[in-house]
Amino acid sequence: MPGDLSRRVRFQPDAHLAMQRGVDQIVNAVQPTLGPVPRTVAVASALEGRPPELLDDGGLIARRIIQLVDPDEDMGAMHLRHLLWRLREQVGDGTATAAVLYKAIYDKGVRYLVSGGDATQLRRHLEVGMQVVLDSLRSMVGQVQGKQPLARVAETICGDPPLAQMLGEILDIIGEHGQLEIRQGRGRDIEREYVEGMYWKSGLHSRQMITDTARLRSELENASILISDLEVKEDRELLPVLEAVAGSGTHALLITCSSISDRALGLLKANAQASKLRCLAAKTPGLRSDEQADAMQELALLTGGRPFLKIAGDTLTRASAADLGQARRVWVDSTHLGVSGGQGDPRRLRQHIAELREAYVRSDDATARKRIQDRLGKLMGGAAVLSIGGVSDVAAEARKASAERTAEALRGAVREGVIPGGGVALLDCRPELRRRLSESDGPDQRAAYRILLGAVEAPIRTLLANAGLDAGRLLSEIEAAGPGHGCDVRTGSVVNMAEAGILDSAAVQLAALRGAVGSAALALTVDVLVHRRRPVRAQAP
Amino acid sequence: MEEPQGRDPVYALAASPHYARDRVCFAARASGLHRSDDGGVTWRALFGGLDLTVPLAAMAVAVSPGFEADRCVFAGVQGGILRSSDGGESWQPSVLPSPPPLVSALAISPGFVQDGVLFAGTLRDGVFRSADRGGHWAAWNFGLLDLSILALAISPDYAQDETLFAGTESGIFRSTNGGRAWRELSFATELAPVVCLGIAPDHARGGWLLAGTEASGLFNSVDDGQSWSRLGEEAIPAAVNGLVLVSDPSGRHEILALGAEDLVLSRDAGRTWSTLKPGLQEGQDVTCALAPEGTAAGAPLLVGLAKGQVIRLAV
Repeated sequence: MPGDLSRRVRFQPDAHLAMQRGVDQIVNAVQPTLGPVPRTVAVASALEGRPPELLDDGGLIARRIIQLVDPDEDMGAMHLRHLLWRLREQVGDGTATAAVLYKAIYDKGVRYLVSGGDATQLRRHLEVGMQVVLDSLRSMVGQVQGKQPLARVAETICGDPPLAQMLGEILDIIGEHGQLEIRQGRGRDIEREYVEGMYWKSGLHSRQMITDTARLRSELENASILISDLEVKEDRELLPVLEAVAGSGTHALLITCSSISDRALGLLKANAQASKLRCLAAKTPGLRSDEQADAMQELALLTGGRPFLKIAGDTLTRASAADLGQARRVWVDSTHLGVSGGQGDPRRLRQHIAELREAYVRSDDATARKRIQDRLGKLMGGAAVLSIGGVSDVAAEARKASAERTAEALRGAVREGVIPGGGVALLDCRPELRRRLSESDGPDQRAAYRILLGAVEAPIRTLLANAGLDAGRLLSEIEAAGPGHGCDVRTGSVVNMAEAGILDSAAVQLAALRGAVGSAALALTVDVLVHRRRPVRAQAP
Repeated sequence: MEEPQGRDPVYALAASPHYARDRVCFAARASGLHRSDDGGVTWRALFGGLDLTVPLAAMAVAVSPGFEADRCVFAGVQGGILRSSDGGESWQPSVLPSPPPLVSALAISPGFVQDGVLFAGTLRDGVFRSADRGGHWAAWNFGLLDLSILALAISPDYAQDETLFAGTESGIFRSTNGGRAWRELSFATELAPVVCLGIAPDHARGGWLLAGTEASGLFNSVDDGQSWSRLGEEAIPAAVNGLVLVSDPSGRHEILALGAEDLVLSRDAGRTWSTLKPGLQEGQDVTCALAPEGTAAGAPLLVGLAKGQVIRLAV
């Protein structure tokens, strides 16, 4: 259509200046949230009559800005918005730091380009300089373990001491990959419970199988488990399985299958009365087909069974006792199936977990990582459930979002360690950047190091300003105190950050730096803006 | 009572913390728990008052560090734990969560008198913990990827570091939060099962830990289980059934390791080894050992045998 094909084109210097204004709008909205005493941003609700959202999550704030009025400014804003949302999805935090870094690099970069610098060369040197900063940060990484140190890291992220204490305890127990379910609770408080064993989305095929009517669930001890996604239509299909169980000497059988006929259920009931074999029939664990495939593979590993798969053309005709998994306890209610004390080969299970961990590290796709994370969590032998309450639904919802974000960042801290917090780690990269600057031999390279030297100061300056402190005076005091020192913004005093327990997740800070420098350097190479007449509103992320 | 004869394997030995004074020690055997009041010369069965129709095997035994005052003894049996607060004269059962597990190892907190903490390792159900002197038990298996527990070792500094280790069918796991959660250590699974663990009395300072395997020999870690190296390859070629690890007053580590048929001793942290065989005959499979007064020359050494005897030796 002619209307869609028409374009509006914007050249330099207007392109850079317009993008800069767009970047400023996102950064100005996000940067008040940097630090342990963040200010919130009110975002009008899309639904009429609903109160505004009060957000202190930079990624979410950026996501709520769907489009700026000026299409040129919008280009700059959406480029940064995309970075911030991706960062939030990957590591849960660090968006305000990334926004501030991005702006510092972009502003000074534009100034240098306007004075005649080469954008491509500048980008290359900025990326080399980024590696220098990353290496410096990595040299500061220390491990964090124990609930109190983890709680302190959590508090720097969420600024909510009771929530931080709870998350510190939970992450100390479940580790980087453990299963954590965060729910909105009914009361005003935060509560947690630990569930033994693994569980999946499932449910009983027949309510008549419920034995614990108070909790609407059934349990088996020392059970054999048939793992399948088959449709059991005829009662005779189950005979080989029942014979195998009878021969093995066990007195409990859990059948998982995608559907089961009333005749087959009737056979199980009759068999239970005749042979004292307690039977439960549950839905194949998992909701979607890919989830079911993962769940069946892992249930088989945990219990030492073999999955019978529809896609492979499996039938139960030759099912034997060796095909059945074994577990000390299984339970099924209307929505879930749980197993504890699976009697599978622990060596194979550990090998499988090691492979999943490797896949997690290798993957940079947020969805794939989330899926692997969920699978790993299920295999760890238990789950934590955190119920978040609040004075109102809105408050509880905000606290739940904060808990999710903090938990994700804490997983990164457990996995990749911690560095001194409060922007100090970035500040302490300056000696190495200065050394590289003194060894630089071209204007673009020198400009890149000067830009980075300014950028690494930006987060701490913003953080101090957000806390209402005198950044200029405090930065002099911090410089005099030496590496590792920064400002405890709650007291306004200069302290050794590690000793004071003010720590940041290394994974978050490294990702924020990588994202900000990489994206800003790329944005500096944009020379021309081309628009559709009617720009498309951002849909993704 | 006479020493039971015949096939009555000795699974574990434990002594009163004041053995030098009271000479009290316990033997967990297929026929139940036995007690000696004369340093292992004579023994008497302790489950007589339980009205059992068949013998109840005791697989593990633990004695309170405050035994002299509280007289607390625990025995791990099929389906639960028996606890006594009168030195084994009478017993109260502690039932573990169903289905009944087989308790294979017990580890008692060095600060048991104050904290009342006790751990039970089981053959199929992982680790259970009690914090009320064995009254109630709960499974604590978060991160424990192998539920076949063959050995438990608790840090001598548990009150501060809350550290304990579990030897399993497929390797070694460590908890640094009082057993709430476990992490696997980098012990190669092909070297497992790990049937016994030894923890240095000064573990908090040096992180020294020993692991005895079913068929791959003895392994040593000096970094709290992060890395492992083989120890005494020639002296201990295959199975290690038990370990006694002591530090002399100068901080030097001495190790007594039980091979399938050998007792070997190192007085220099495993660099050199000598074989101790006095009193042992060919084919007497060694299952466990106890050195209640350390490993100084001439100190008493109790050795449990698979055939069902506890013999007394001198180091």
